[in-house]
Amino acid sequence: MFSKKNLFRGGGAVAAAAAMALGLAACGGSSSTDAKKLSTDPVTITVDFWGGDARVQATQKVIDAFEKEHSNITVTPQYADWNGYWDQLATSTAAGTMPDVVQMDELYLASYAGKGALLDLGTTNLDTSKVDEAVLDTGKVDGKLYAMPTGVGVYSVVANADLFKKYGVALPDDDTWTWDDYAKIANELTQKSGGKIHGSDQMGGFDAGSVKYWARQDGGEVFGDGNKVTLNPDSLAKMWQYELDLQKSGGMWSPANITESFNAGTSANGLATSKVAMSTQYNTQLTAFEAANKSHFVLLKLPEPQGIHPNSYKPAMYWTVSSTSKHPAEAAEFANFLVNDPEAAKIIGTDRGVPANPDSQKAIEPTLTSADKAAIAYAKRVTPGQAPLVTPNGASTIEAILQRYTQDVFAGKQTPQDAANAFIKELQGEIDAAQ
Amino acid sequence: MSVVSELRDLKNAGKSRGDGKAAFWFLLPWFIGLFAVTAGPMLVSLGLSFTKYNLLQAPQFNGLENFKRMLGDERLLHSLGVTFLYVIVSVPLQLAFALALAVLLDRGVKGLSFYRSVYYLPSLIGGSVAIAVLWRVVFGADGIFNQFLGIFGIHGQGWISSPNTAIWTLIALNVWTFGAPMVIFLAGLRQIPVSLYEAASMDGAGKWRQFRSVTLPMLSPIIFFNLVLQIIHSFQSFTQAFVVSGGTGGPADSTLLFSLYLYQRGFRNFDMGYASALAWLLVLIIGAFTAVNFWASKYWVFYDD
Amino acid sequence: MTDLSTATPVATAKKPAQKKMKTSVFFSWSSTFKHAVLILGALIMLYPVLWMVVSSLRPNDAIFGDPTLVLRTFKVDNYVNGWNALTQPFGHYLINSVIVVIGCIVGNLVACSLAAYAFSRLNFRGKRWWFGIMLVTIMIPIHVIIVPQYIMFSKIGWVNTFLPLIVPKLLATDAFFVFLMVQFIRGIPRELDEAARIDGAGHFRIFTQIILPLMVPALGTTTVFTFIWTWNDFFSQLIYLTKPENYTSSLALRSFVDAQSATDWGAVFAMSVISLVPVFLVFLFGQRFLLKGIATTGGK
Repeated sequence: MFSKKNLFRGGGAVAAAAAMALGLAACGGSSSTDAKKLSTDPVTITVDFWGGDARVQATQKVIDAFEKEHSNITVTPQYADWNGYWDQLATSTAAGTMPDVVQMDELYLASYAGKGALLDLGTTNLDTSKVDEAVLDTGKVDGKLYAMPTGVGVYSVVANADLFKKYGVALPDDDTWTWDDYAKIANELTQKSGGKIHGSDQMGGFDAGSVKYWARQDGGEVFGDGNKVTLNPDSLAKMWQYELDLQKSGGMWSPANITESFNAGTSANGLATSKVAMSTQYNTQLTAFEAANKSHFVLLKLPEPQGIHPNSYKPAMYWTVSSTSKHPAEAAEFANFLVNDPEAAKIIGTDRGVPANPDSQKAIEPTLTSADKAAIAYAKRVTPGQAPLVTPNGASTIEAILQRYTQDVFAGKQTPQDAANAFIKELQGEIDAAQ
Repeated sequence: MSVVSELRDLKNAGKSRGDGKAAFWFLLPWFIGLFAVTAGPMLVSLGLSFTKYNLLQAPQFNGLENFKRMLGDERLLHSLGVTFLYVIVSVPLQLAFALALAVLLDRGVKGLSFYRSVYYLPSLIGGSVAIAVLWRVVFGADGIFNQFLGIFGIHGQGWISSPNTAIWTLIALNVWTFGAPMVIFLAGLRQIPVSLYEAASMDGAGKWRQFRSVTLPMLSPIIFFNLVLQIIHSFQSFTQAFVVSGGTGGPADSTLLFSLYLYQRGFRNFDMGYASALAWLLVLIIGAFTAVNFWASKYWVFYDD
Repeated sequence: MTDLSTATPVATAKKPAQKKMKTSVFFSWSSTFKHAVLILGALIMLYPVLWMVVSSLRPNDAIFGDPTLVLRTFKVDNYVNGWNALTQPFGHYLINSVIVVIGCIVGNLVACSLAAYAFSRLNFRGKRWWFGIMLVTIMIPIHVIIVPQYIMFSKIGWVNTFLPLIVPKLLATDAFFVFLMVQFIRGIPRELDEAARIDGAGHFRIFTQIILPLMVPALGTTTVFTFIWTWNDFFSQLIYLTKPENYTSSLALRSFVDAQSATDWGAVFAMSVISLVPVFLVFLFGQRFLLKGIATTGGK
């Protein structure tokens, strides 16, 4: 009964069946239901998102409001923390059970869209007319709109104004300052505080936004057409060298502190614990800093070379609809509600970025906190350049790769130039392997 | 496995063919589990290791590509190095602490239950998200460990954030959670008949001699078990590295344990075919270590049956 | 010597100590020394945990500046906030964890002991080979079999229930424990089996009346280990439990932590403490049952 032959036969059958199931499950074909026609029968859809409990409560309120308007549609929420979210999403998509409405991030958009997992929103009734074309472009892959931006963030320098005052350093004129000025101020802060604080945390090498900024300062871009990494290694090397110099002169704190600060997250990093006075962040994170630290923070523009606009709108996140959804029309209807309905806008506030829809912006004005107002005011002061291309399929780990090289450079294991070249090579390799 | 029991097995094999039926019923749950839950997915993953599979689309056969790729994968090599260091250092240390504390806490000390619970407690939070913060508080640049060193005038660095030392904080974490093997040793010590100790001390053996001649040999099946399992477990270690490094294996890949690299390739790079191939590489490595363990056990493990 | 073995383990344990009359001074010094070492060791071992407890009683902005254990404040706000922070009170997630853990423990105890008996006491064709296969199943990392497993469970509709987490344990997939129990059973002399067989007992009777009672420490350690691993196992729980109301406590704790917005670390610590306390108490009082001595194996 337990002969090897029987085992293999049984095992083989199971394996074959399982592999077939795998193949069948992953077939991301588009659903045959009309994506524009709302059904009159009772329908249940799922919405999936990442976020903390504030977002969970807010989203539930939006769901309640939506369900009141559409009595036959039930929305079931699903959520996880940032890391777990992507694991759950990948697994459920592999099994063909991707949720209907999915919150999406710029890093993963091309991966999911490029592999056919997302529905072309142009085939639905989702209203995109109110949103600025430049913002809408951030959700397009191969010319088709796969993701609806919820809101945008803009790169900024967050400065702890109280620390500036305490140590008698003047806040800079952020319309005219240069990176040299930034370094001078950082050094001054460290010096005048006798080393109790440092002027600056890292301002590049841990998130994709910094690389984009330094590339665009020199007139280049990180990604170009045809899934190419067009980043000029000199731009990246310049950024790293700047940081190494600033660490040496004392304006920036040590690599060990930088790593710990980064891992600690927004509520416990150098800025939140008042150990540094400046750091680069997205303007929408001001709310988090003010929650973690009672000091007065201001948003400053990053130094810009004359006549060039390196900054750009970064979509905070998007709403997408799964291509395997059994109720695409209803799913698109809910996504539409999330981004266009004024009541939903009031409930969500700036939690998913400063709203991309100007009507929503107006609707939330009375409920804005001081941090929200500051973030919006800041966004108005910044002139963004042309939107960069969406991170291509295969490059979703760009930040992980970047961090590794940054830490090598900071530890003195590689020169900035070598690291920049190696980084580009590895990134291009990942993109090519995914095609 | 002693020669005596081998011969006995052989003898009985001829006699009690009837055991086959009993074995079937006793093993039935395990057989069902094996075929339905374990073997199927395992065979699928073996099949996947010969494919390119991005999770979102059907797998595509690509022959030995994944295995060829392993040969030139620098990060893989680095990860193997990190993992070997982790296993070879933390397992003996962990077991040594576990055994020492188990012997100390076996009998003869007041408040045993309390001490045992205390030393066991770290295992309970070893995998929790709180550890990420706790470990940073202890081993960070301004952490407790450095403050302790400061008492002696030693200026410590950021242990957890420096690529040269981060893996050692993980090793420390693995050793810190020795409570689980300690409990196994405690149970094993209970099985050793007290009469053996009495006989030994009647013969004039001191505590240390008793430990070497009674405790160690009688405990050897349990030590063997703990060794095999902790090695397997440490090779597969994932949660602690994931939580402490934030999923990155950093800084600079210094904590990139094999399972973490495998996870990154599978779930973050959408490269599940390659990840499956890596998994089977791990099976081979662990299998080799386990086989060596079993072979070497002939020389030092003493079974009573 | 054999009649001494009928005395209880506790009594015989005290005897070697009392025999060393001439070294009584040495003994008490060594006892104080032992206590000192144990207490110091305990403090070092527990420092991170103690810090977490103390921090849970501090307001959020005071936590990260202070690595000491000094209790300057005693605010229970974190406990109240943490308990109510998610859509369900935290106790709901603790109960989910308890359900999963108990299911896994029962599954492991029943299925693994049955399999272990077969591997250690029975003889059948291909035994060595099956044992080898069993060991191989321990060696494969969960991350690659979880996708095929998930697809399989999703097809039978078990996703988002506790079933994919518990049922495999009822099918002895935790081969670790089969191996553990095999090692323990091999320490039980076969003479007892044979005595029972002479009395006409079949394998099942021998298993339940002779082997199981003598295996209590192995069953106990299986319980302890299953408890720890299941309590801490977040990855399979994350993948299979997609609806937050089914989240276990380890998943619920992770959802407090959001790298992009403010994390309420005070609440995380408070809820971690709450997750720990009952477990600690269970272990503290359950030890006696767990580590019951085996007097009769002294009968050699």
